[in-house]
Amino acid sequence: MIELQEVSLCYGDKKILDKVSLSIKDNKIKAILGPSGVGKSTILKLILGLIKPNSGKILIDGVDITPLKESKLYPIRRKMGIVFQGNALFDSMTISENLGFFLRENLRLTEQETEKRVQEQIAFAGLQGYEDALPEKLSGGMKKRVAIGRALIFKPAMILFDEPTAGLDPLSSKKILGLISSLRHKNNLGAVIVTHIIDDVFQVADTVSVLYKGEIIFDDETAKLHNSTHPFIKSILSDKILEQ
Amino acid sequence: MSQQNVITSLAQSANLSMKEFFLTMQEFFHFSVRAFATIPKLRRYWRDFLDQATIAGTDSLPIVLVSSISIGALLAVEVGNLLEDFGAKTMLGRSTALSIIRELGPLIMGLMLSARYGSRNGAELGAMKISEQIDALRAFGTDPVAKLVMPRLTAALMVFVPLTAIADFTGLYSAALIAEHYHKIDPGIFWNAVFPRLVFKDFVVGFLKAPVFAIIITLVSSFNGFIAKGGTAGVGRSTIKGIVVSSGLLLVANFYVSKLVLENM
Repeated sequence: MIELQEVSLCYGDKKILDKVSLSIKDNKIKAILGPSGVGKSTILKLILGLIKPNSGKILIDGVDITPLKESKLYPIRRKMGIVFQGNALFDSMTISENLGFFLRENLRLTEQETEKRVQEQIAFAGLQGYEDALPEKLSGGMKKRVAIGRALIFKPAMILFDEPTAGLDPLSSKKILGLISSLRHKNNLGAVIVTHIIDDVFQVADTVSVLYKGEIIFDDETAKLHNSTHPFIKSILSDKILEQ
Repeated sequence: MSQQNVITSLAQSANLSMKEFFLTMQEFFHFSVRAFATIPKLRRYWRDFLDQATIAGTDSLPIVLVSSISIGALLAVEVGNLLEDFGAKTMLGRSTALSIIRELGPLIMGLMLSARYGSRNGAELGAMKISEQIDALRAFGTDPVAKLVMPRLTAALMVFVPLTAIADFTGLYSAALIAEHYHKIDPGIFWNAVFPRLVFKDFVVGFLKAPVFAIIITLVSSFNGFIAKGGTAGVGRSTIKGIVVSSGLLLVANFYVSKLVLENM
């Protein structure tokens, strides 16, 4: 379980997050919805300990990660996988190498076990035949599936998605959302999805938090979003895609 | 705006710049310490080390050869002409050897590698930073400094010394050819003025610069890549900054290494 307690973050004079509190339960899909540039991706980086908040606590399975040193954070980070907005695949490595890289780096598995896990993820992503291709040869949707496979390869309990369908064509978006839904149903995984596309939220999320001007203005089940009387939420429900 | 407001605004701006400078220096210090502290992990990243050694060493050889040959030849032409006025052309070997081995060989090699190896480091790591690949390394539990910077540092430390030796030799050899064909100095006379006159201290001055330059070029360029921000234009800015700062530091370090060794040996 992930919990943010009154987390605040500033970049210089600019306040990004103002006493944000939210909790993300295991085996549930939580969406964080908000306009571009409001600090949604920053929340994912805070959860992973990639950046530190100015104040507040971030609890991962009950452990406050905010005072931890980088080396102590590594085992905690491995409980989660992340799919970055731009995928962050390593350009110089093939798809197989991208998938197996962190296993070889961090787990003392046999080469046979590593290869088995890589092949599982290639099959899961439907990328058979592309094992030796470089990321530049793949389409946006295929790269996204490789990035999901890379996040899954550690067998984490939770996956963090940063704008999973941004920049994808409608068909690829549908495939990716289907893949995210199947993760919970087949693999019993939890997920956090950061997005500015409301349709994505209604398709996959159990609960949603709406981030607006650095504050959480809604945090409840996705279906209840329609009942909100907040003017911003009412306006975004009609616009569907949020732009600031 | 009143004069007092202008002064206050300038003071605040200077204060912010100073604060930013010292924070960056602090960050650079931590980054450098981490790069050295991860050297025990070299065995794990030996492939990256070999890749970087190839880039810094073998791939840099042509530019080092071209620059050292031209500098050696140019030096021989100019110094030879000058010595001829004093009737001391036979001293050409000694004067070019001292200049090349102590100063120009390592300095030209350093500046060329700052441009070639340093710019590559800055651009590659900067691109990795803005495409979140460095964040991905951290997110999945890999120390990016150990994986990306330490192999570059150790590779540079290893190959810069032989590159200096190659730069020295080719520089001297091209000077010898100019001495023979342009100044009509017998090669025996030229080389006799080189080797018996060179002392251990001259080699220490020259070869001590190689590891110093390796550290400066690698750490400065890599650090600027790691702090790149602002898209592709930001990568360009950080790469340029890396080259300018490391080249400037190289010139300063070149002077101080020479001064320290020559005064204390």
